Amino acid sequence: MADSLISVEDLHVSFLTEQGSVRAVDGVSFDLEPGKSIGIVGESGSGKSVTAKTLMNLLPSYAQVEGSMKFDGRDLREIARKKEKHFWGVEMTMIFQDPMTSLNPVKRIGEQIAESLRIHMNRSRSEAMTEAGDLLEQVGIPEPAKRLRQYPHELSGGLRQRVVIAIALACDPRLLIADEPTTALDVTVQKHILDLLDDLRKERGMSMILITHDLGVVKGRTDEIMVMYGGRTMEKAPTSVLFECDGLHPYTEALNATIPKIDTPSHTRLVPIPGKPPEVIGKIIGCPFVPRCRYSTSECLTDMPPLVEQEKRHLCACHNPVSTPEGIKARETNQNAGHTPAGLDMKEFETSAARSDTGEL
Amino acid sequence: MAGSGVTQMREDDDIVLSVKNLVMEFKVGRDEIVHAVSDVSFDVKKGETLGIVGESGCGKSTTARSIVQLPKPTSGSVMVDSEDGPIELSGLKGDALRKIRPKLQMIFQDPISSLNPRRIVREVVKEGLAIWPNGMSEQQIQDRVDEILESVGIDPEIAATRRAHEFSGGQCQRISIARAVALDPEILICDEPVSALDVSVQAQILNLLEEMKEKYGLTLLFISHDLSVVRNVSDRVVVMYLGKICEIGSSDTIYSLPAHPYTRVLLASAPEPASTVSESESAIGDDIPSPINPPTGCRFRTRCPSAQALCEEKEPEMQKVGDDHFVACHFPVIDR
Amino acid sequence: MKLNLTTTKRGSKGLSPQDEDSSLIDDEKREKRKIGFGFWVSIGWMILVVIAAFLAPVLPIPDPDQTGAGGRLDAPNWDNWFGTDTNGRDMFSRTIWGSRVSLTVGFFAIVFGFAVGGPLGIVAGFFKGATDKFLSIIIFILFAFPGLVLALLIISLLGQTLAVVCLTIGIIGVAPVARLARAITISISEREFVAAARILGSTNRRIMIKEILPNVTIPMGALAFLGMALAIVGEGGLAFLGLSVEEGFSWGKMIVLGSASRTLQKAPWVSMFPIGIMFLTVMSLNYAGDRLRDFFDVREMGIGGG
Repeated sequence: MADSLISVEDLHVSFLTEQGSVRAVDGVSFDLEPGKSIGIVGESGSGKSVTAKTLMNLLPSYAQVEGSMKFDGRDLREIARKKEKHFWGVEMTMIFQDPMTSLNPVKRIGEQIAESLRIHMNRSRSEAMTEAGDLLEQVGIPEPAKRLRQYPHELSGGLRQRVVIAIALACDPRLLIADEPTTALDVTVQKHILDLLDDLRKERGMSMILITHDLGVVKGRTDEIMVMYGGRTMEKAPTSVLFECDGLHPYTEALNATIPKIDTPSHTRLVPIPGKPPEVIGKIIGCPFVPRCRYSTSECLTDMPPLVEQEKRHLCACHNPVSTPEGIKARETNQNAGHTPAGLDMKEFETSAARSDTGEL
Repeated sequence: MAGSGVTQMREDDDIVLSVKNLVMEFKVGRDEIVHAVSDVSFDVKKGETLGIVGESGCGKSTTARSIVQLPKPTSGSVMVDSEDGPIELSGLKGDALRKIRPKLQMIFQDPISSLNPRRIVREVVKEGLAIWPNGMSEQQIQDRVDEILESVGIDPEIAATRRAHEFSGGQCQRISIARAVALDPEILICDEPVSALDVSVQAQILNLLEEMKEKYGLTLLFISHDLSVVRNVSDRVVVMYLGKICEIGSSDTIYSLPAHPYTRVLLASAPEPASTVSESESAIGDDIPSPINPPTGCRFRTRCPSAQALCEEKEPEMQKVGDDHFVACHFPVIDR
Repeated sequence: MKLNLTTTKRGSKGLSPQDEDSSLIDDEKREKRKIGFGFWVSIGWMILVVIAAFLAPVLPIPDPDQTGAGGRLDAPNWDNWFGTDTNGRDMFSRTIWGSRVSLTVGFFAIVFGFAVGGPLGIVAGFFKGATDKFLSIIIFILFAFPGLVLALLIISLLGQTLAVVCLTIGIIGVAPVARLARAITISISEREFVAAARILGSTNRRIMIKEILPNVTIPMGALAFLGMALAIVGEGGLAFLGLSVEEGFSWGKMIVLGSASRTLQKAPWVSMFPIGIMFLTVMSLNYAGDRLRDFFDVREMGIGGG
């Protein structure tokens, strides 16, 4: 894909720790065209944040990275080796969950925005300040002139995140990575920030990677969605395609069913995902989701299914995708046996009797 | 919103917890006062789950803390049902307060910080019974601990040798639930019990809470910022903003016929907005006023899309707008 | 724990307390967290010194006060490993015997400092408010009072006995111990398990003993090693001022005797051996204390959601 802005192929990241090698990312590939956005969805341990930090060259020295990462045709690791000054923070930039950690508490907002303009764009002090004011206006901060002179603690959480976005946008990046940008914010503010990011992306023709644990956040917002689990890509599809079928991968399906919905009546049964999030230490044989999956077959225990196109543009890494003949058969077999090949009791998926008694269903 | 009043209080013999005109203020600096909770009243029936929902700073957690008298509220009453009729908690001190404590238990948001890292998990769960053996023999206590551990899905054998940091967040939350339930409380207060957990674990804990409620006849006070979670677990819901109650009513009513402008904003702001409101209703200012200087009149008026002059002058009183549906707003949205 | 760029194993998995959600850590993996070889070397040295001190009366060494164990100021040789002093006394034997006083002071001073300072700090940190203000003032005064003047005062009033020297150094240790205990207690008290204990109906006493104390003990234990090192050095300091024990002798007193300028020139071993042994012991204590603190800090981090 020559025309993609960022192209990641078979990315592996592991950390050597005292507890052994932690494989945080395990064979992740994706492409992102200019002006497009992708949502990476996953829980803790899924490798979503590590993927982003790898792209941003923010990993500690003991991380081992393999695979290829290209930005506009240029090798990212080459750029890192050459210690190019005006790349990260200029061409590609990132915002984090907690705005307070990204902002310097003892510096005025204006200075913080102007700083990167002066370093990377060679602006004079007054030029940078004027631009900083414009940026604040663009990110929807009222009274920008007054805000420029304020310190981060004088702003609310939502405004702080807007300031962080303004700083990120200062050098007109071509790719913005947003790592859980709204998780620390209140619901009423969350939506505004997400909408703002979306608008800015469209206005500026910038690409965006939106990382979140919440499927709802990316729904109807990004062009594509990649679902990760245990360092691996489970499913990848255009957003509209993915939500049309509520996921082909058993994990995506389970995630969808386990989250309470705002429109369903009280005491609606939630289908739990039994077990715990994946262990990332040591070598995983087979599919990482197998201990919690009700579609698993003995094959899943030993072979990691490749990410293949199940339907048009809909990639899924599963031997028995949901609602395919294989999937239906696997689930029936497990149901009849009472447990999955991984030894998971199928009863775990039922909400308990006590719960259905109180429920309206 | 910012409503006061007690019209929403019910007359019923089954009321196990009744909070009336609760006020919690903290002094900061020299003479500034944080109005964390201002005149909040609600009640909970036996076996009911009352959800309290609101954004950060709305006073929901402070309300929970002042119900258990940690710290004691500035004013107002907290009545808990007991064998000898309702008992006023805010008047109790020392041993008298300690004696009533087992009735009201609590679980917290942070599963790790909720458990003493230096104690064996089994001891943590046993702690309540060690303080209040109530004539139980050591063997009976041990059996009870085993039973409770099993009912929350923790192997008693494993719990007998390990400390909290050897368990995952979800398991720690199970242990917290076991500790709270061991004393056979009347009311279990859950302060954001699933907010720190992975989504895939969240449903396990919510289901477990329902099970425990059934099994041990608990009454729940469930506090969360997550609208969907609150709807799922609650029979009744209280919506709070800046230390005041906006709206209170049965859970399905609040979500299907939200009458308070703030409730509507909340529902429209959710990642997947509720179908009863239009998404455009989420468009309000981001600046939440400081609880040190809350707005006069209705506290929501500075961000409210339907605010008028009256809202600045007069604080709205709780009014009944439907069957078990109360709103503190001068201009509630009633479309039925 | 909401760091942005933690890139350790935990950071690699996300950014929130959920990170802990990686299931049970196997026993085997837990043991891999090593305290290090150096720690065991230090502990080994300390055990050696303590055993030697204990067994001094039965060891086949000359009487430390016997003045003809060798010539005067003999250099180290096969009979007198550490040489002899101006009175021809065997320095090896004296070093071992001298350790008895130094170690006793080190140990009992710290026991006193912790026995008084620990509870003081815990009570102050736990109750806060007026109790804290009152106790903090006492701690503050103790801190502000010049240690040396205090030592002079106590020793000149009560005499130069071993117990008084222990007590003096112990009192000087109370303030820093109390301050640390108070700080740890305050941070522990804010954790939710303390609130949970209160909600269960624990008495203050029970909370302090069952919930707070175990969490204060470990970081304080690490400090105890450092404190002991300081106490041993402190005794040496008192000896230089002629304020240490009157009867018997310690490393400090031996160093004083050996540091007369003529002795130092002619026979440096008279002071260098006690200095060397004291140095190794103090270093071992410091190092072990440091390692212990790091070790438990790591474990604390593994636990600490806050």
